[in-house]
Amino acid sequence: MSAMVALGATAAAPAAGAAADPQRGEVAFQKCYACHSVQPDETGLEGPNLAGVVGRTVASAPDFAYSNGLKALPARGYKTWTQAALDAFLTSPEDFAPGTSMTFVGMRSAVERADVIAYLASHDGRE
Amino acid sequence: MAMATRIGLAVLVLGLAAGAHAAGDVAKDEVQIFDLPAGARPHDVAPGPHGGVWYTAQRQGALGILDPATGEVVQVPLGDGSAPHGVIAGPDGAAWITDSGLNAIVRYDPATREVTRYPLPEDTGYANLNTAAFDGDGMLWFTGQNGIYGRLDPASGAMEVFDAPEGRGPYGITATPDGVIYYASLAGSHVAEVDTKTGEVRVLEPPTPDQGARRVWSDSQGNIWVSEWDSGQVSRYTPASGAWRSWKLPGDDPQAYAVYVDDQDIVWLSDFGANAVVRFDPKDERFTSFAGSDSGANVRQILGRPGEVWAPESALDRLMLIRTDG
Repeated sequence: MSAMVALGATAAAPAAGAAADPQRGEVAFQKCYACHSVQPDETGLEGPNLAGVVGRTVASAPDFAYSNGLKALPARGYKTWTQAALDAFLTSPEDFAPGTSMTFVGMRSAVERADVIAYLASHDGRE
Repeated sequence: MAMATRIGLAVLVLGLAAGAHAAGDVAKDEVQIFDLPAGARPHDVAPGPHGGVWYTAQRQGALGILDPATGEVVQVPLGDGSAPHGVIAGPDGAAWITDSGLNAIVRYDPATREVTRYPLPEDTGYANLNTAAFDGDGMLWFTGQNGIYGRLDPASGAMEVFDAPEGRGPYGITATPDGVIYYASLAGSHVAEVDTKTGEVRVLEPPTPDQGARRVWSDSQGNIWVSEWDSGQVSRYTPASGAWRSWKLPGDDPQAYAVYVDDQDIVWLSDFGANAVVRFDPKDERFTSFAGSDSGANVRQILGRPGEVWAPESALDRLMLIRTDG
């Protein structure tokens, strides 16, 4: 079994049962802010717009040129950004999606990841 | 063909010419690969004292110190929450680190092994600290990707933070031989020249729109070389004339991440698209590529000293050394 598959299996579990807090997640999202926005009309950054990303089809933001690493995820079983998939991605982007252009090394804290995902979930793109 | 050696495992790295001037060009430089602790995720590298090499172990919150003669590595923990991004050698012989996890500038003194933190002012917020450079007066200038740049007086510890024009984006920073400071704005797709007296900046727009200027480095004449992430180009800005010139890196889909100009005015770049370190000679406009030691090496920065060019393979936990004729 490859390391990648093993990671995918691990990612099926929720983020360590942490009590996710979107307000803490807003603070933690500052680590993402340089390249991403949750404001639906704010595009043209280095990373795709993340409004409504939780539950969204992987690599589907319009007008964004995804890396091969992201475009390969559906074929590996990650068709949508579930919370578990986002948790695995945020843990170590390069391990979860080899070839990703995202230049973030990852978040070590499961609580911080859960908070960020809760913050993203609170921005569904309809606000 | 260049022979590569690696501590613990022999690896062959090919240096192949590429691009429009490919015919007959073969790299003669020697490549050596050094293994680092698993999970270190080395982001930036800087030659240090006594032949040693510093690197930021971003994932492990430490400053790494490699002895290239033996391959021995020591990592100095920088504290809970540390995620160091950049490291440079200061005029005082210390390592100066931009630590995005600590939201602080960190100094490591190799003589005393003392670690000193200089936190950003509390009202700055999280800056996503990126990179630093010393100006001609010994002030440390730094960038924060969330939209700031700033300066630290090492003598007094006084720090000033400025809002960057166009907000988020400040990334790589460099000083010219005359001590002038320039930084690149990735999200802003521009280069900024800093007035080191007033702290104000002048925005310089490269000719290619939305090019994604990520890092900058000065050559010996004070010309500014820019690695363009989104356009896949390297560009040169000539301050004396205001002229720009750009060259596309080889390959189908280049993504120029790092740029460094060595003491011979050879330009070194990393290309995520080709998984390579690329040498560019401005004299004959020839590119020469050095493949990563494995797939997805992700070299995010390059730095060197005469005869040596160092490139951290961040995703592989390795450092690449290219020995040049220096």
